[in-house]
This record gives sequence, structure tokens and C-alpha cells, in this order.
Amino acid sequence: MRFYPTHSRRRAALAVLLTLPTIMIAQTVAADESPSGVQFENDILPILTAHCFKCHGLEARKAGLDLRTVGLMVRGGENGAAIVKGSAKESMLYERIADRSMPPEKELPLTDAKIDLIRRWLDAGAPSANPDAPLSAAEAPAVTAEDRQFWAFQKPARAAVPLVRQTARVRTPIDTFVLAKLEEKSLGFSSEADRHTIIRRACFDLLGLPPTPRQVSEFFADDAEGAYERMIDGLLASPHFGERWGRHWLDAAGYVDTIGDDTDATIAKVSSGKWLYRDYVVRSFNGDKPFDRFLLEQIAGDELIDWQAAEVLTPEAKELLVATGMLRTAADETLQNELNTADIRQAVLEHTMEVVASNLLGLTVNCARCHSHKFDPIPQEDYYRLLAIFSPAFNPQAWLQPAQRELPDISKAEKTRADAHNAEIDKQVSERNGRLAAVRKPYEERLFEARLATVPEPVRADTKAAIQTAADKRSEVQKYLAGKFEAALKVSPQEVAAALTPADQTSVESLTKEIAQLNSGRRSWGILQAVYDVGPPPPTYLLRRGNLDRPGAEVPAGFLHVLCESEARARVDVPKPNEHTSGRRLAFARWLTDRDSAAAGLVARVYVNRVWQYLFGQGIVSTSDNFGHSGARPTHGELLDWLALEFQTGGWRAKPLVKLMTTSAVYRQASQRDAAHEKTADSGGKYADPEAVDPGNELLWRMRLRQIESESVRDAILAASGKLDGGIGGPPTMIEGKPDGTVVVKQEGTPEEFKFRRSMYLLARRRYNLSLLEAFDQPELTSNCTRRTPSAVVSQSLTMLNDDFVFQQAGAFAKRVKQDATEERRQIEQAFRIALARVPDETEVHWAADLLRQQTERYAKTPMPPAEAAERALAHLCQMLLNTNEFLYIP
Amino acid sequence: MRRTPQSAGPLLSRREMLEMTGLGFGAVALGGLLASEGLLAAESSGDERAFDLRARPAHFSPRAKSIIMLMQNGGPSQVELFDPKPELNKRAGQVHRDKVEMFQPGSEGNKLLGCPFKFQPRGQCGMEISEVLPHLSGVADDLCLVRSMHTGHNNHTESLVMITSGKIFPGRPTLGSWISYALGSENQNLPSYIVLRDPEGYPGTGSTLWQNGWLPAIYRGTEFNAKGPPVLNLSPTAALPDGAQRDDLEFLARINQRHREGYPRETALEARIRNYELAARMQLAAGDALDLSKESDATRKMYGLDEPTTAGYGARCLMARRLVESGVRFVQVFPGAGNPWDSHGDVKGEIEKIAAKTDLPSAALIRDLKARGLLESTIVVWTGEFGRLPVSQNGKGRDHNRNGFSLLLAGGGFKAGYVHGATDDVGYRAVEKPVHVTDLFATLLHQLGLDHNKLTFRHHGRDETLTDSSVTGAKVVHELVDAPARA
Repeated sequence: MRFYPTHSRRRAALAVLLTLPTIMIAQTVAADESPSGVQFENDILPILTAHCFKCHGLEARKAGLDLRTVGLMVRGGENGAAIVKGSAKESMLYERIADRSMPPEKELPLTDAKIDLIRRWLDAGAPSANPDAPLSAAEAPAVTAEDRQFWAFQKPARAAVPLVRQTARVRTPIDTFVLAKLEEKSLGFSSEADRHTIIRRACFDLLGLPPTPRQVSEFFADDAEGAYERMIDGLLASPHFGERWGRHWLDAAGYVDTIGDDTDATIAKVSSGKWLYRDYVVRSFNGDKPFDRFLLEQIAGDELIDWQAAEVLTPEAKELLVATGMLRTAADETLQNELNTADIRQAVLEHTMEVVASNLLGLTVNCARCHSHKFDPIPQEDYYRLLAIFSPAFNPQAWLQPAQRELPDISKAEKTRADAHNAEIDKQVSERNGRLAAVRKPYEERLFEARLATVPEPVRADTKAAIQTAADKRSEVQKYLAGKFEAALKVSPQEVAAALTPADQTSVESLTKEIAQLNSGRRSWGILQAVYDVGPPPPTYLLRRGNLDRPGAEVPAGFLHVLCESEARARVDVPKPNEHTSGRRLAFARWLTDRDSAAAGLVARVYVNRVWQYLFGQGIVSTSDNFGHSGARPTHGELLDWLALEFQTGGWRAKPLVKLMTTSAVYRQASQRDAAHEKTADSGGKYADPEAVDPGNELLWRMRLRQIESESVRDAILAASGKLDGGIGGPPTMIEGKPDGTVVVKQEGTPEEFKFRRSMYLLARRRYNLSLLEAFDQPELTSNCTRRTPSAVVSQSLTMLNDDFVFQQAGAFAKRVKQDATEERRQIEQAFRIALARVPDETEVHWAADLLRQQTERYAKTPMPPAEAAERALAHLCQMLLNTNEFLYIP
Repeated sequence: MRRTPQSAGPLLSRREMLEMTGLGFGAVALGGLLASEGLLAAESSGDERAFDLRARPAHFSPRAKSIIMLMQNGGPSQVELFDPKPELNKRAGQVHRDKVEMFQPGSEGNKLLGCPFKFQPRGQCGMEISEVLPHLSGVADDLCLVRSMHTGHNNHTESLVMITSGKIFPGRPTLGSWISYALGSENQNLPSYIVLRDPEGYPGTGSTLWQNGWLPAIYRGTEFNAKGPPVLNLSPTAALPDGAQRDDLEFLARINQRHREGYPRETALEARIRNYELAARMQLAAGDALDLSKESDATRKMYGLDEPTTAGYGARCLMARRLVESGVRFVQVFPGAGNPWDSHGDVKGEIEKIAAKTDLPSAALIRDLKARGLLESTIVVWTGEFGRLPVSQNGKGRDHNRNGFSLLLAGGGFKAGYVHGATDDVGYRAVEKPVHVTDLFATLLHQLGLDHNKLTFRHHGRDETLTDSSVTGAKVVHELVDAPARA
């Protein structure tokens, strides 16, 4: 029989323990007879769980006492040790329960049998299966030099740039690394992509948008050397670059605008001011903020300054606080009071750390929560060491619910002054309100008495008394009378106003005006979401099997051993930056970006690999979320290291990295089947058939065709229709569910131009996002996402064919084409140019003309004036161009 | 008339086929064609198997082919419906000797609450079912009643997520997604996993209950609407003239086919071309599968379509039968918006209300499947996410209880007229032969010919399974089924 459902490790485990007493105790009494004797885990723990942990466990430690392990009991609390092994008589725990002062009266009382069991256990020396031993070998296996030999845990090494034969194709060092591998297999690059292909590719990759007809014509008009590089430079300088690359980062950080699990379709619990972090990220990418600084700010921006003591919260200080929004992406269900429990708090802490590890280290550290990692040298101990870095901010014993974590965007001192200022206003307003009431009172009384006269005389006095008594103080009779007459006797402010004498009317008006004036002088402030230490660091215990009620040894805050040369370097050993914060996150951020550490090497590899993935469709390590033993090995390991070092020595800047990759010959190859490969020989020797040698294109003998991501699908449709709003940043545009289950941009109350903002500015939820985006594989952000999975399901086709938004935008697209060109052929060409950044060939023009003719005839028969029929037909053509594979893929 | 140049042979033949039928895309039997060409494949490169909906073999000979899950959100009260407790009635009003685990306030008194309904033995098997479910009582001889279920959490969301995905935290694939991933579909004109919810609103916890988690998106449950158009965007918002879309699609196919020639190895491009054909076929097939007017008056009446109380849920139950008949693998039906079985205030009144809505159609589905010989190959699961407490909440209600609840199974090789397990004397905790949600899942997969430990998907470096048995200890409950499926 299974009473501990170990499946749902957290809440369930706790809850089961809390409800176990009946059965467990029955077993306990029987077990008592067994030769092994009373034992902590089997016999005592269930009793303490049911009767004591509410106040002396993880959630609360009244009198500083935690009773979850024998060691913690010996350590005791403010009043000294709770137990003395071998003597119940001398144990405070026994004393308190025996004299019935514990547990307190309102709690479930202990039976005599249970008290006796505890006595015998203490007298027997408080035996436990897990005596307060240090970490076991299973919990803290030694990380060996051999473990550190694994490629991902070594510092990147700079390899010599290899020699290649086809030097004519080399544009950057990247190309030599890739070409060298290709030549080993007698392969080479595909032809260079043509101009309309490459500009389309570059615009989607750098901006997430299709090229505008103007961008295309400018690029085509530039005949000088370096035209391509100039085009790339222009894109890097565009403010949309930060949106595109910020969006990638927000995926990896798990950013959403909501707080909790977000499982209710109808209610999005939006976190005020969270979008400031989204804008911070966009700004950082646009400003090409060095990545090491970017991480430092996001992990420990609050620790870089003593903002709590600051006289004024400067814009720079605000920026640093907002940056820590990266650590506020884990779902926090403690916003519901029922779920503000130890297990849920612990889950928020754990998920926060796990997202950081997945995003920055590319490791599945989460596997080490319950046991040492099965594949990677990550001891269970290390999981809790990392957890201890975040526990001062997410302290389960000093928990702040989401609303309590919010900060005003002004300093404490400013807030104090503003509160005093507002209090003074309140005082003055209240004084004037008093005067207003005094003017009105005689009128109210007079009107009331007149009404009261309509109440039957026998109950008149009683009714008056009832109404004048406060609602909660009324007797049953008074409640009845008030219920019957109060509403009818109520004098409205309008009646009073109508009855005022001219003099009183004047004074009422002037007082009302004064009040309005006073209120307009109130000071207000905004809300921002940040992470900060909520008090001194709590002790962190390893949790056996990840179970909150099975704490093991205490572990210090520290880093992953496998990424540190020695135990000493794996310690967080730092002075506090100021009295308000522990400095643990600051130390962690420095460790991650200290160029001499293996950690920084991994951080650089993981990020560089993702940049590669975003540009080439697949990382050099294809499992970009897993660089461990169970992940894929790099296809071009030396190139990855070279890029990582280039990134670090170049000042951790993303833009030069993106430029380096996008100006490479690898990137500039065609993605289509290429006749060049079908010729078997040239001056360099015999070439192999790449389709046979490397059908999966792992070696990059051609560029990969990639599906555009959900946001770009919608943005590109809006770009084609000409409706796209180019504004950067700001509060999210709200979305709403319709009765048929679709989610669309909220229509009521949304300003017209906000309806067509880029998709990244729509309210970001964990799920229930815009149906159009969900159809195109927008990930459910239950945690974070470092790699999106594209699919080609039928709902995408149905959406592009029949969705009202697509239909409307196709109509706008057609109107735009009609404005640009009047003659049919020119219209067809313009439609292709806008949608696909190219002109159609003769065959395509022919097909398009056929479609226009068929649809025009059809509409004309409905009947409809010819001009209108022609425009409808044009809308069909436009919509079909939006449906083409060419439109939906980055070539 | 066809004067336009043709560049691709296959397009021509397909187009000719379409024209021959005179019905556009709809009537072409492309299902077999697609399956034989393996062209519904829809995934990124680098994966070993294609993530499509083609029918796939089970691990061993299956006993059943499909599942209809009648999700009774809210926590139906076991002691009012399926689990008679004379001891509870005898001690009604007394303070219970053991403090129960409560979720919301209102049960602090820990006072036992008697059951307002009478139970009696039903059918040949003598299974005891409450008078509030007269119709399900009538099919007792076809039911396998489990009285010893237990689950993860006392909050609706967590336990709803568990009864659909096996764990309490959202983000994992649901049962229907795993089954679609494992077995695909026998009908290429319809999705393999279909959800029928109340058009008035989402069930509590919403589409999380049919999410694909980290399985490919193609395995997510597709919502069919019981009112109006059955599928989102199945037809244009504004009606188009006859034939307009056919011409559109023909133009699109030409452009796409030409583009495709440059990318011979990109199966996703071909899948997308085929999807437009599937989209057109679905428009007819989905309409047909859900066209309840094709049912006889007697059948419609049997499901309660003539009564306003039962018409909505009845229509969804009837559609579920039609879908399973068409080869759909997994159908998930919800009786109402929110959590309609949640009876905190007045168990009698609240249960009578939702029972009146659901009892007759649920029973009709089982009768109908049996009459058509479909119950052999279809498993019907009737379940909530947890049960309710033996003690009273605010006088006449009951709070949530994850420690014990009852559920019904029918068909697909589950023992008929059989009662499994028991709760304690007041119906609080499963004590005899307890069955965990993951045990149920292991058993359901087993009946479909799937080994729950072998059905894996690699995610974040781990071979994930639905039941995660190394952690949960999930096991097939062989006692629930007739005879072990042949290995």
C-alpha cells in the first residue's frame, strides 16, 4: 500500500504528511513492539508534522525553533536546545508537551500514547536513520579532475584558424572553420544567395520584420563595394534590432506580464510595471550593452547600489532595479492566500534558480533537486548551494507575496516625503469636507424629517433610531425597520443641492473647488517589479529526495563545483555590499562573467551558441538548453570556442557578433537546391554529392530554410497591409478571449494605433495568447524557452485562410496596392514586392492574372460594381500571397 | 479553359482529381494517399521520427482503440454518488475522531455530514449507486467502479492538471496528447485528439487541460465547438462566393509547388501544401462528423437532446460517439463551464442540479456505444479531479478531498459490473487497493496496447513518460481489466 504519493513531490508530500496521523500513528504503536525500537523518521516525524511544524518548521520558526531534524532540535532556538539525547526529563521538548503547554490549545492535542512514544524515543537516545551527519557521498559526490575534462566544463581554447583550399569563398574566420569540415568530406559551400533573398533573410533575422520596398530598392541601388555590409550596419542600427533580439532574450528568461500559473483563460493577473523590464531588455540590445554588464544588472542590479538608503532614486538606480525583473519570471502562486504556503514558496525559489541555470549555463541543474545528477557531475549539494544564492531574496520564512514585493519608483525618503505631503492634503481636504457637511446638514435633516412624517406614527421614532444606529449595531427589530424604510427615507445629494440658499450654494461650490484643487496637488508614483534581499540570509538545507520535510545537512551558498578549480573558489565568500543585502547574487554574477573562470567560458559558449541558433536555425550545439553529457556535442567545437573567446575579448558585445555571423560566407549561401553541387568537378578536385554525404546539412553546405516565428508572422502581415505601428516600448496592449474561444487584441478601450503594435508588445501570458500567435507555435511559457519548436499543423493553414484578422489585413494590403498602382500587371508586381520582396516572373504573373480574372467575374455576378469586384479579387490575391510558403519562411 | 502553363506533374493530377469530383477538395479521399506518401509529417529536422498523425502500431495487441473522457470538473462527491457509507449517516453531526485535511475555511468543526441520498443495489451485479444517478444506475452491469482513487492536491487547478497530465504542475503533455503521439489517428480527415467543451465557457483551468506540453504542437487537443462552426477558422468569417476559395487554393498550390522545387528535402513545405487540402477536407468531414441531424429521433431523445437541461451535454456526448466512430483517438468532454460539481454550500441541491444535466447523457453514451458494438473498443472514463470530505462545510456543503474519490470506467476490456477498492468507514481516505491517478493512466495505456514505461519522449535530456513511474511508482492495475492483453 502506498501512502506517500512521491509523485507530486512538493505540495503533495507536505500535505500528505499533514494528514497522515491517523494511519501512521496506528502503525507506530504497532511498530513500537518491533525489535528495532522507536525511530525518528518512522515514528516521531509524523507526530511532529501533524502537531508542531505549523509553527516550528520551514514556514515559521517561532522562538527560532525548527523541529524538522534531530540536528535542528539539538541546535534549538532562542530558549536553548529542544532535546537532550538520552534524557526525556532534561529535554525541553518533552517538558512542554508533557505539561500540555505545547501544542497550544487551539491546535490538535497530543494523545497520551504519542507523548509516551516521544518520551521513550528521547530516552533511547533520539535514534534516527539520518543522524545529523554531514552530507553523504550520494548527496555530495566528489567532483573530480576527470569530470572537469568534459568539453563544456573546460575553458574555451583558441584554436588556430584552419587552412582551406577554397580560399576564394572565405569572407570571415567563421568560414574557414566551416569550410575545413566540409572539405574533409569533399564538400563546399552553395552559391551565394541573390540580393532579394539575402535582404529578406537579414531583415527577418535582425529585425523580425520583412524588408520594406524602400529598403529593397536602396539595397539594389547600391552598386559599390561593401553594399551588403552597409545594409547589415543599417539593420544593426535600427531600433527594431533591440525588439527582435530582446524577444529572443525574453524567451530565454521566461518573461510574461502575468504573475501566477496563469491557468484561467478569463483572468490575466497582470504584474504592474513588469513591462519596464521588457523595455529595459530592448534598450540594452539597442545600446549594445556589454553582455557581462547586462547579466550583472539582471542578477544583482539591486546589489550594485544601496537603493534602500538612497535619498533619491535616480533613473540609473531605477534601471538597475528594473533589470532584476529577469529573476521575477517564475510563476508565483503565493498571490493567492490559500497557496501562500511553504511548498509553493519553495517552488518559486527553485524555479527562479532553475530558469537562470537553464538560460545562462545551459545545464539541467533541475535534475539535481532530488538526487545527484544522473549524467552530469552536479551533486545534489550543488543544487542547494545555488539555491542559497537566491534564498535571501526568496526567503520562504520571510516571504513577500507578489503584491508586497512591488516597489514604488521613488526612494524611501521620497516616498516618506510624498506620504507626508499627501497626508497634509488629506487633512486639509477632510477639514473642508467637514465644512461642506456642516452646510448640508440642516438641509438633510429637514428633508429627512419631512420624509419621516410619511412613516406610520407608531414606529416613526423607532425607525429614526434604527437608521441612526450603525448597521452592525442594530437589533433585530432595528434591522427590520431599517430594511423596510432606509432606502425610501434616504436624502440624495441632488435634493440637498436643489434646496440650498444662494449663499450656501456659493459656499458649497467654492469648497468643492478647493477640494479639487487640493487633490490635484497630491504626489503620485509608479510601480516597478524588482528582486532584492528581504532580510538576512536564511540557512539552506539540502532536501532529501527534494522533500521539504526531510531537510538534510545545511549547505553554504556556492557555485557549481565542476566549474571551479577548487573548493575555495566554489564558495560565495563576500563581504556585504551594504547593510541591506547579502551580496550573494552579486558574487554569482561576477563568477559567471569572470573571464578567467570556466563558468564564464560556458556562459559565453551558451549565449554565442544561441545567437548562432537564431541566425542559422540550429545551434552548433543543437540542444541549446543542454550542454551536459546527455546533450548533443558541438558540430563545430573549435568554431564555438573561437566565437566564445571572440565574444569575450571583444567586450561581450552582441552586435559585432551578429555582424560577424551575418557577413560570413556561410550565412550568405543560398538555401535552395543548388546547381553548383551537381557539377562533379572543378579546379579544386572532385566534389561529393552533399545530399548523400550530409543529408541533414549538419555541416552547413547550404543555408537552412527556417519558418518565421509567430510574432514575425503577425508583424509581417501588418507590414504588408501597411498598418504596422512602429512605436517602441510602453505598457502592453491588452488581449481578450471571444466566445468562440479565439483570443484577439482587445477592441474596446484600445487606441486604434495600439491595435497594430508589434506582437511583442501584446500582453504576454504563459498561455491564452493571441490565437494567431499560438497557432504558429508561440511557446507556453510555463518556465523559459531557449529553443522554439516549429510545426506545420493544419490549424495554421485554417488561420491564414479564414481568420478574420488575416482577412481584414489582406483587404488593407489590396487597398495599398491599388493606391501604388492602377494597371493590373503593376498591381500584381507590387503585391509580390510587398509580400515577398521580389517581382514575379512571367508564369507567376500569368497565374495571378488568372486568379484576378476568375474572382472579379465571380464577384461581378453577385452582383457588384466592376471596380469593387476588382478590389475584392485583388484582396484574394494578396491573401494568398500571405499564405504562401515563401511568405512564411526565411529563405 | 486551362491555358495556364503547368510546371508540376503531381499538381496536375491532383487538380484533375479535384475537378472530377466536382466538389472541390472536400470529397477527395486523400487520407490514404497522404498516409501512403507519408506527407502529413510536420516537424523540424533533426528528429528521428516524424511527428504526424498517421496510425502507428501499439507495443502489443491492444484491447481498445479509443477513449472518451467525460471530465466531471469540480470534485463529484463520492459519498453522495458511488460510495455508500452507513457509518457516516449513523454518526452524522458528530465530531469526527480524526482531523481531516481541509482546503477552504468552513469545515473547522470537523463534524460528519450524512448523505441526503439513498443507495441501492443495481443490475445483476448489485453495485450500489445513489438514487441521484438513476440513469447511470441503469447501466451498472457495464460499469467498472473504482472507489479507492486518490490524487495530488486539494486545489482544483493542481488536481485537474494531475487528472489530465499526471502531475500537479502545468506544463506537461496531457493523456490525450501522449496517446495521439503514440498511436496517431485512424482518420486523416480529423484531428486525433478532440475537445468538446461547453460553449458557454471554459472548464476550470481551461485549455491547460488539453495542452501538449513539450510534445509537438500537432498533439494538442483541438477544440470542436458544439454550436456554430465546429472548428476555429474552419470557414471564412465572411461568406465567400461559391468556388472562390477553390480558385484561391489552386493559385496557392501552384505558387507553393514551384517554391517547393527549390527545396526537395524540406518535408515541412510539403506538409504545408497538404495541410491546405486537409483544411478543405476537414470543412466537410468535421461538419459531417458533428452533424447530429443525421441521428434518428430515438437516438437524439436517448441523449436528452429534446430537453433543455440535458441538450447541451447530451449533444457533446453524442458527438463524442460520432467522432470515435469516425476513428478519432481521444475525445475529452466537459459538462459545463467552470467546475460544476463543486458543492461547497449545499451538497444536495448542487449535486441534484448537475446530476440532472449529466446523468442521462453519460448513461446514454454507454448504452449507445454498446448497442453499436463500439464499447468493446472504446473506453469511457467518467471522473472528477478529486472527491469531497465526509465532514460538513458551512453546514450542508463539503470541501475538497484528494485522499479518496470514486470514478467510473466502461468498455475497452475493463471489468463490467465490478467494484474495486474501498475508502475508510466514512469515505475519507482510500484504504483498500488504493489507485493513484498515474496507476489509472498506466492501465488506460495498457488497454490501448501501450507500455507506460516504454512510451517515452526526450525532453531536457530525460526520457519522459506520462506516468513517470520511477518517481510515482505507477503500475498497471490488472484487477480492473478482464484478461491481460497478449504480449
